[in-house]
Amino acid sequence: MSSPQALRIVIVAPDTLAADAADPQAAVEAERSRSLRIGMLQNGYNIVAVLPADVFLPDRLAQISPDMIIVDAESQARDTLEHVVVATRDARRPIVLFTNDDDTSHVRDAIAAGVTAYVVAGLAAERVKPVLEVAMARFQHEEALRRELADARTQLSERKLIDRAKGLLMTRHSLSEDEAYARLRKTAMDKGLRLADVAQRILDVADLLG
Amino acid sequence: MNTPLHRKFDMSRRHLIKAAAATGAASLVPGLQSAVYAAGSDKPEKEEVRIGFIPLTDCASVVMASVLGFDKKYGVKLIPTKEASWAGVRDKLVNGELDMAHVLWGLVYGVHLGVSGPKKDMAILMNLNHNGQAITLSKKLADKGAIDGPSLAKLMQADKREYTFAQTFPTGTHAMWLYYWLATYGINPMKDAKIITVPPPQMVANMRVGNMDGYCVGEPWGHRAIMDGIGVTGVTTQDIWKDHPEKALGTTSDFAKKYPNTCRAVIAAVVEAGKWIDASLQNKLKMAETVADKSYVNTGVDAINQRILGRYQNGLGKTWDDPNHMKFYNDGAVSFPYLSDGMWFLTQHKRWGLLKDHPDYLAVAKQVNQIDLYKEGAALAKASVPKELMRTSKLVDGTVWDGKDPKKYADSFAIKASAV
Repeated sequence: MSSPQALRIVIVAPDTLAADAADPQAAVEAERSRSLRIGMLQNGYNIVAVLPADVFLPDRLAQISPDMIIVDAESQARDTLEHVVVATRDARRPIVLFTNDDDTSHVRDAIAAGVTAYVVAGLAAERVKPVLEVAMARFQHEEALRRELADARTQLSERKLIDRAKGLLMTRHSLSEDEAYARLRKTAMDKGLRLADVAQRILDVADLLG
Repeated sequence: MNTPLHRKFDMSRRHLIKAAAATGAASLVPGLQSAVYAAGSDKPEKEEVRIGFIPLTDCASVVMASVLGFDKKYGVKLIPTKEASWAGVRDKLVNGELDMAHVLWGLVYGVHLGVSGPKKDMAILMNLNHNGQAITLSKKLADKGAIDGPSLAKLMQADKREYTFAQTFPTGTHAMWLYYWLATYGINPMKDAKIITVPPPQMVANMRVGNMDGYCVGEPWGHRAIMDGIGVTGVTTQDIWKDHPEKALGTTSDFAKKYPNTCRAVIAAVVEAGKWIDASLQNKLKMAETVADKSYVNTGVDAINQRILGRYQNGLGKTWDDPNHMKFYNDGAVSFPYLSDGMWFLTQHKRWGLLKDHPDYLAVAKQVNQIDLYKEGAALAKASVPKELMRTSKLVDGTVWDGKDPKKYADSFAIKASAV
């Protein structure tokens, strides 16, 4: 996953369902998407699929499971992708937007805010590459932070469980803290369970028996 | 195509502005002057305000504030900017490309709490409208007898298959109305149905080709399905919650802190536009002509004006006059950003697993809803302000929401996302 060229990329292209011949906006969006695709193919990016922005998009993304999704910043499909983001909060993947916005400060702001990366369409390939690299690096960095936070939270709640189970053993069986802990640990080892799981079982049983 | 109407409208607009200028010269302006212009420190810090909107009937007060020149009256210039997606509105608010937006309550609260995306402190300056959304069921379902909540639940029990319903944004109002309504009739939206997100203007086209069984969206897309003969109105959102909050005027907390005078001026202008829309049938029709235009909602006037006037039909021959149609002012009750309204969205986010833990409901609502700014802006527009920060509402399932015990309320629902 180190080089952007190795990424499995899906591009979400303008939706044909909503195509309104009289809508100049739609024509602009289609052209922007086309030029981006050509540029990326010419530069050896691995585009595994170009998907229409229809109601089946979430299902298709789930099947293909790409490393990165690229979509026009001004596409209505953004909200459909938002659904994918919320639904797969535990299996996140980066979404890169492309835009015609020449003001690159917005691009920088967007990346800094962690929103998404913005690629300016029609950019020379050598300029697209660093943006994709930054997007991927930033995404991976954030994912690492997120995992650390989740781990820390789990550890904290497990510690609390163990403390409560220990307390229960101490009062019910007049054990010292060390003895209570030793008993928990022994049970865990005998049964091949995690300490927190044993603690949870003890508390559940105590609840049940009152 | 509707040039004559527009010309007529321009005429009346000129009259209106002239009239406003005339009364203003006599009595209005002195009061305003002291409030807005005379004291230098009250001058809007930022005069041009880029304000995003999505093509829906309820963007009307924002659009009309600009079209009728209420913005100039309060020393600002609104630049309504048409946006393609709610996610786009969110990103542009967060990175400052938009100053404010016509936006979903649930989206603003979602960003404030960091649901699904990056967290950013947000602000709601006012509520833009009450009512005026609908849940549409496909003609195919109606033919099998599903025309409202109870009959839909019965059909889904009897004829088991995957049922697909669409809303417009995962944390948004339409998702919440849809989930609430389905759950009222024993349908768990997380388990018993497939929920998808579809952009509002694409709902009708998707229903036509059979991609969904039902959808919840703002007008004109409910009435449009009836005109096109492809769906029936299963319920209006005002029948789920009479006078429910719908779109908000949203911005970031940073913007509200940096430009309080601008915020007050925009609130005053939009409140006044809402007042103008609600004032007469004539004004509502003019509003419908204006927002139907390509640069706004981009649909026929007839798709908008019936329901705006409260003339409803369900697509099966039933017609009725709905007193609780889309409202923009209603003597100030619409515009006030009630704390309990904001907290309600949090309770539903918790209910459906978007929030994993209970937030500090009241504290969050106080941070987001800019009650003080709103009161000051409303005073400029001479709008009445309700005394209470909370209100009591009875929803379709009979539960009462008054904002007093949000944690208990959020946990009280039998049907919710399974806690994992």
